[in-house]
Amino acid sequence: MRKAQIFIALGVLLLLAGSSIGLFVAPAETFMGDVQRIMYVHVPTAWNWMLAVLFSLVCAIAFLFRNDFKWDARLEAGLEVGTLLAFLLCCQGAIWAKPTWGVWWDWDPRLTTTAVLLFAFLGILALRSFVEDPVKRAIWSSVATIIASIDLPIVYMSVKWWNSLHQQQSTPSTVSSQFHLPLRMNAFGVLFLMIGFIMVRTRIAALRAERELAAPPVAMSGEAGELV
Amino acid sequence: MLAAALRKELLLQWRTRGQFIAVFVFGAAALLLFSFAIGPNAAALRTFSAGFLWLGLLLSSTLTLAESFHAEMENRALEGLLLLPSDPHALYYAKAIANWLQLAILGVALVPVMVVLYDAGTTRLLTLLLVIVLGTAGLSAPGTLYAAMTAQVKAKQTLLPLLLFPLIVPVLLASVKATSMAILGDPMGDSQRWMLLLLAFDLIYWSLCGMLYARVVED
Amino acid sequence: MSGVIVGGWEFVWAAYGITAAAFILYGLSLMSRLREAGRND
Repeated sequence: MRKAQIFIALGVLLLLAGSSIGLFVAPAETFMGDVQRIMYVHVPTAWNWMLAVLFSLVCAIAFLFRNDFKWDARLEAGLEVGTLLAFLLCCQGAIWAKPTWGVWWDWDPRLTTTAVLLFAFLGILALRSFVEDPVKRAIWSSVATIIASIDLPIVYMSVKWWNSLHQQQSTPSTVSSQFHLPLRMNAFGVLFLMIGFIMVRTRIAALRAERELAAPPVAMSGEAGELV
Repeated sequence: MLAAALRKELLLQWRTRGQFIAVFVFGAAALLLFSFAIGPNAAALRTFSAGFLWLGLLLSSTLTLAESFHAEMENRALEGLLLLPSDPHALYYAKAIANWLQLAILGVALVPVMVVLYDAGTTRLLTLLLVIVLGTAGLSAPGTLYAAMTAQVKAKQTLLPLLLFPLIVPVLLASVKATSMAILGDPMGDSQRWMLLLLAFDLIYWSLCGMLYARVVED
Repeated sequence: MSGVIVGGWEFVWAAYGITAAAFILYGLSLMSRLREAGRND
C-alpha cells in the first residue's frame, strides 16, 4: 500500500496548494464574483468522475472477457469511488446553482446526467451487497455497469433536448487563462487522490474475496462423506 | 427455436391473464392517485397527463417484469431450460417480446383511463400507439434482463426498480414528450426526434441485453 | 441574465468544505476497512 499512500499524499498536497491559490490568490471573476471559485473544485471533480466511470467500464468488460477476479475487485473500487464523486458533484453543483440561478437544481444536462448515474451506481452497489455467490456477483455487476455506462451519453442527450426549450442558462466550463493554474493543480490533486483511493479499495475487495473463497462452505461435511 | 420459445411465453401469459387484469387495476389506481395528488386543476392535469400515463406504466412494469420469471423460479425451470440444447438468446428474446406485448397492451388499456381522468383526449391515435410501442420496447429489453438477474436474489422487489429506473430515464423523457405532443399538439414538429431517440435506445438495448443475457443466467 | 454576484463566500466555503469532508471521511473509512480486512486473515 506504499504506492497508494504516496498517491494520496501527493493528491492532498496538490489540493491544498491548488485550493489555496484558487481561494485567496486568483482574482474574482468579472460576472460571477467569488462564487466562481467553486469551479476550482467542481470542474476537477467532474473530470475525475468521468474517469472513474470509464475505469469501471473497462474493469467490467475486462472481467467478462478474462473471468479474472482481479478485475472484479477493481470494479468494486471504481463503482464506490465513482459514486462518491458523483455525489460530490451533485452537492457542489447545487451549492453553485443557488447563488447563481437562485434555485438548488436547474436541470443542467451535465449535472442531471450525473445524478442519474449516481442512482445507477448505487443500484449496482446494492445488487452487489445482496448477491452472495461471488461469481454471479461479479458477472452481474459487470453486466449492469456496462449497461449503465452505455446509457450515459443517451441520458445526457435526452436531458439536453428535454431542457433546451426551457432554459438558456449554461454552466461555464471554459475558464479564462489566468485561472488555469489552480484548476490544473486541483485536477491532478483529485486524480492522485482518486488513484490512491481506488488502489486501497481494490485491496480491500481482494482481501474480502480471498476470505470468501477460502472459507469452507457450511453444508459441505455431510455431502463429502456421502461422496466418499 | 425462437418461435417455440415465444409460443411457450405467450401461452404462459395467456394462462396467467388474471394477473394482467390485476396489474391493469394497479396502473389505473396509480393514475387515479396522481390526480388526487394534483387536485381538481383541470389545466394542470391535462398538461401533465402524458407524464402520469408513463409513470403509471413504469410502476406497473416492475410488477409485470418481476412476474415474468416467476414460473422459472418456482420450478427451478431456469436451470432446466439451460440444460436443453437451446440458445439462451432465443429464451431472452422470447421473454422480452412477451413482456413487450404485455406492457404495450397495458399502455393502450390505460389510455382511456388517462383520457377520462385528465381530459387528455387526442385524435392522433396512431402516433400515440407508436409511442407506446416504442416506449414499452425500451422498458422491456433491459427490464427482462434485470428481471432474470433479480429473480435469483433475495431483495428482488426492491432491486429490480432500483436498477431499472435510472437506466430508462431517456425512455421516460422521450415517451412523455412524444405522448405529450400527441395530446397537446406539436407546433415545432419536435416529436420525430423523440421517436428516433426511442428507436435508437430500443435498437441499442435489444442487441446489448440479448448479448449479455447468456452470461447473466449461466451457472 | 448575468450580473455581478456580490459576496457569496458562504457558498464557496460550503462547496470546499463538503468536498474536503467527503474525501477525509472516505479516506478514514478506507483505512478502517483495510485494517479490518487485513486483521481477519
